[in-house]
Amino acid sequence: MRAENPSEVAIREWCTEYLARTLDLPAQTIDAQTTFARMGLDSANSVFLIVELEDWLGLELTPDLLFEYPTICELARHLAERSGR
Amino acid sequence: MSTVTAEFVPQAEPANHSELSSLVDVLRRRAAKQPDDPAYIFLPERGGERLSLTFAELCASAEALAINLGERAQIGDRALLLFSPGLDFIVAFFACLLAGVIAVPMMVPRRASSSDASAAILADCSPRFALTRSDLLTIARPDLRERFQASRLDWVFVDSCAAASIKERDPLPVPGRDDIAFLQYTSGSTSAPKGVVVKHGNLVENSEMIRIAFGNTRKSTHVSWVPLYHDMGLILNALQSLYVGALCVIMAPVGFMQRPLSWLRAIHDYRAEVAGGPNFAFDLCVRRYRSEELQGVDLSCWKVAINGAEPVRANTIDRFTATFAPHGFDSKSLQPAYGMAEATLLISANRRGTGPTSRKVDRDALQRNRIITPARERDSQILVGCGRQLTGEQLAIVDPETRTLLGPGLVGEVWVGGPHIAEGYWRKPEVTSAVLRAQLASGGDQYWLRTGDLGFVDEGGELYITGRIKDLIIIRGINHYPQDIEETVQNCHVALRRHCGAAFSVPDQEDEEQLVVVQEIERTFRRGVTRDELVASIREAIAKEHELTAGEIVLIRTGSLPKTTSGKLQRQLTRQMFRTGALSPLSAAIVL
Repeated sequence: MRAENPSEVAIREWCTEYLARTLDLPAQTIDAQTTFARMGLDSANSVFLIVELEDWLGLELTPDLLFEYPTICELARHLAERSGR
Repeated sequence: MSTVTAEFVPQAEPANHSELSSLVDVLRRRAAKQPDDPAYIFLPERGGERLSLTFAELCASAEALAINLGERAQIGDRALLLFSPGLDFIVAFFACLLAGVIAVPMMVPRRASSSDASAAILADCSPRFALTRSDLLTIARPDLRERFQASRLDWVFVDSCAAASIKERDPLPVPGRDDIAFLQYTSGSTSAPKGVVVKHGNLVENSEMIRIAFGNTRKSTHVSWVPLYHDMGLILNALQSLYVGALCVIMAPVGFMQRPLSWLRAIHDYRAEVAGGPNFAFDLCVRRYRSEELQGVDLSCWKVAINGAEPVRANTIDRFTATFAPHGFDSKSLQPAYGMAEATLLISANRRGTGPTSRKVDRDALQRNRIITPARERDSQILVGCGRQLTGEQLAIVDPETRTLLGPGLVGEVWVGGPHIAEGYWRKPEVTSAVLRAQLASGGDQYWLRTGDLGFVDEGGELYITGRIKDLIIIRGINHYPQDIEETVQNCHVALRRHCGAAFSVPDQEDEEQLVVVQEIERTFRRGVTRDELVASIREAIAKEHELTAGEIVLIRTGSLPKTTSGKLQRQLTRQMFRTGALSPLSAAIVL
């Protein structure tokens, strides 16, 4: 389902939930301030995260985004701004 | 009738591949016979510029670059090929062949990684040149110059030097079958990389074997997203298409990862016959399937869907066929195949149109390397066949201890002989004689490649791969050496005991291989670090150095990792204990 301009909080929760599933970890252990690199996300899994976000938000995103916004917090803030436009 | 110059004009279509002297010969024949046919097309992601080369354009561009290179190079110098996805790699590759320079395809190292395989490759083959594009080196990746500074590379930009020399020049050398074409570094060990020396003769012979197995012709358009520095992307796609005079449509690997259905759309658009990838690629297409994105896509043109470079799963084949049958995909097109760089590429495959073969075996007996028909359904495991021995090849199952031949249905090491087997690893005489020049106990003058893989051949001649002697980890078609991952782990924190960790892979719920690390901690370490912090450091280091997301990291107490009495690590036993829950992981709450 495509989201209607989800809030920063909603995006943060979505990412946390997605990464918990992908990394097979309990959601409470995913820290939104931890870098994606620290979570052990390789480039293939980075691409998959981006693809799922594209589907959900209806935005075109590039995998480089995770370098520019390297934590869930920063990424969610950026995406909320973009999808709010 | 014929003039004296006739003998210098290459005959375009040889009656027999034994007339072909090299890949350069193949290229020149294509350029002469079908100059204006499209040879390569690069499909960019999202609206970039679509690039294309005809056979004549490829030959001309490669020659221009070869002349330029030849003015600075000695025959036999090594040249790295460092390119982003596109057609430059192909031009540079052929320029090296034309100039008698040994090409060394290499992945552009990731920015973040510090000790990836690239430094070890440079140290191993001491290249004199690095061929790249100016924009890659100056804009996208200026760090590369510094990274490779110690190697004193002569950087050659293919975009700015190709047109430079149309003048009096020495003729380019004419390579023969015994000349080296390129070095294929098998992805992997950062400590001891091995470069397979691929000669022109190997390339011509394996290309012919591939052509026969897959029934390829000039009409066999290929569509490939597999990276060109990967042997599957290069030999099975980009060089095979040229060998048969067909078009090869190339896509960026990351574009495929992001939009796997675009690969299928391109197969439809170009009415491609041949396209393939590792097993995960087929799973990815199924997982990302959206019927609305593939409206009107007809895959009935796809005759050879090669599944190779990692173990082929029966589930994958079933799901893929079920998902894409409504788009005209024929299950008989699926072609599980087996190969490795040491054999140039392909070792076994079925003939076009045969379809995959599978059989049920007893799971427990298989663990003990025995093939038994399962008594009950729940004891069974499905093995997918990897096809049959190729034309001109010898395939044998050998007892690795006694080096004697084993009969049908018995599991042993897969040995391969034939003109496609490389004669050596670059400057590694000992490994060369052990791996590439093995001999049976019965003697004879035949040399064999020891693949390190275990398997059996059934009564019908189908090869099944059942396991490995070496503890190689294969994830998404890339080989990883467990020793390298273990070292990365042990380097990332002093609390992690040296030589007391094991890396291996196990299938996850979706039957895809995932990495597991079991690591001991130092008994004496008391600095208030938590288990979670250690696990995070390990995850970060593995992703950075090896491009892998760790599936599970298990920390265990000092002395609890299984080892032999002589202190040798037992990876397979550790793996088995992990799967049966016999390890005792430290709890999350622990503070060391």
